Amino acid sequence: MVKDWVPSVNRIFRTISGSKRVDKVPFLAFAGEQMICRITGKTVRELYSSPKVYANAIISTFEFLNADSINVPSAYAGPSEGLAFAEANNKLDAIKWFNYQPLMCKQGEICKSEEDIDKLEIPDHSKNNLWKNSLLTAKMINEKTKFPQVISLSIWSVVQELRGLEAYKDMRRNPDLLLKLCEKIFESQMDIYENWLEVVGMPPNVFIAGYAFNRHMMSFQDSMRYEGQFIKRMMNKIKVPFMLHNCGTSPYFTEVVKEIDFIAVNGSHPLDIEYWIDFKKQHPKIAIIGANIDVSREMLTGTPSDVEEKVKENILNLAPGGRYICCPVCSLPWGVPIQNILAIPKAIEKYGHYPIKIN
Amino acid sequence: MIKIFKGIKGIYNLLIMNEEESLEQLKNAILEGNPNKAIEFVEKSIKIGIPVKEILNRAILKGAEEAGKLYEEDEYFLPDLLMTGDAINAATEILKNSLSGKSEIESKGIILIGTVEGDIHDIGKSLVVSILRGQGFEIVDLGSDVPPEEFLRKAKEINPNLIGLSGLMTMSISKMVETVNLLRSENIQSRIIVGGGILSKESCEMIGADDFAKDGWEGIKKIHNLIKI
Repeated sequence: MVKDWVPSVNRIFRTISGSKRVDKVPFLAFAGEQMICRITGKTVRELYSSPKVYANAIISTFEFLNADSINVPSAYAGPSEGLAFAEANNKLDAIKWFNYQPLMCKQGEICKSEEDIDKLEIPDHSKNNLWKNSLLTAKMINEKTKFPQVISLSIWSVVQELRGLEAYKDMRRNPDLLLKLCEKIFESQMDIYENWLEVVGMPPNVFIAGYAFNRHMMSFQDSMRYEGQFIKRMMNKIKVPFMLHNCGTSPYFTEVVKEIDFIAVNGSHPLDIEYWIDFKKQHPKIAIIGANIDVSREMLTGTPSDVEEKVKENILNLAPGGRYICCPVCSLPWGVPIQNILAIPKAIEKYGHYPIKIN
Repeated sequence: MIKIFKGIKGIYNLLIMNEEESLEQLKNAILEGNPNKAIEFVEKSIKIGIPVKEILNRAILKGAEEAGKLYEEDEYFLPDLLMTGDAINAATEILKNSLSGKSEIESKGIILIGTVEGDIHDIGKSLVVSILRGQGFEIVDLGSDVPPEEFLRKAKEINPNLIGLSGLMTMSISKMVETVNLLRSENIQSRIIVGGGILSKESCEMIGADDFAKDGWEGIKKIHNLIKI
């Protein structure tokens, strides 16, 4: 570790809370296993095998990218949760491992039938090796960097993994069955939280991967039914502020923040910056993480100058008044040029110091 | 006694149900996404002698078209389209069986589709397969996590009009590039569409595909256009 993380910790968490004591716009990066493998040369299995190796690789990667954030990509209710369910239900065939990208759970394999849902066992995360190591890694990162690790939970992301396409059909033909599955996933998310408390400690925030909140996937009413109501229940149990992540292309951000009390929203769509300017006006106390910097556009195919222009546009429109974090969404793909990632902190250095100079 | 009564009632229903009514009921079953009702009314339509092409065009495809319109108007969502897809497939299966070898349903084209290697997400792709199959396309679905070489092998074998590469993960873009490069380097002339919420005009150009779609319904519309050209 070469970096003093304290300024980054202050920058990120003060921005989220709306403090005026922020020196510049923070840079939050989603560097998943793929990026960590690319930068450190290690395979995923090597990373997962030891919390020490994993923590060091993560720290090196985020420091290399000059990011203000740091997190453990596998400590998230995505593929790792698929693995936990697969293990608890003797269905490890549903899991596919890769060398340089996170494992995947074949969608719909674990809960193929109604009986599978009825008999579905909730994982004990303290007994799952990947979760054990991921939480220990988060603890080590906490200790080494003093960057408090944020817990990430989800309902619909896990529903999709376990039930796949059938989940969408269940909405119309058997909603009670689908709710039964959501209920079990909720229980599992609470088990993750209990384990997190025990190993890592109290998280500063909960980061909800709320994939249900997408127009192209379901109606807003259904998104509240199959994800929103469970988030509200999580909020009753976990007394820290919640943030909403949604990397879909038609998110219900404006709708959902009227129903659920999030302190920040994180996404890359809509691409129209005017949407985000209006969002900030309508919800001045909700931090925006991301806005319209999409990893599959300037980041992937453009030049560092294109990235700089995009960052500038976001900063000049959204950073005045605070509560703005620069963040390309979502996970940085394998092929994204490193210069384009590094162009973000450079552009922040140029335009992102407070007070923001509009011209 | 009850059985006799039901039998008489069935014959009576069959007689009084005219062509329009039967097709309307079938279209509604498609629109409601009710496979059982779709089977019931496609069978009735065949029994009263409506030509297969009429059943397909005036009821099944019309139902699919109306479902798509409702989706665009935010009245329908992915679950509704998927149920419509199931009803279409149930109905067309009955139609095909009724033909017993006759080729009254013309193929609108051959499509090779799959989720690229390293990605196992298939919800958008399944919607595309389900609707297009019902609309008369011949679909060869390679499934998910498909290596570039497998796309190539199958493309050489079936010479598709169009190849669809699907992927949800940002990391899938690199695999799409690899797949398209391999297909083009081996002189595969089929049109190529890439699909997934991660895609953009810029990434589509980088991949070298003819077009891209951000969701399943957009994919269905664009595939129709690409195959027409």
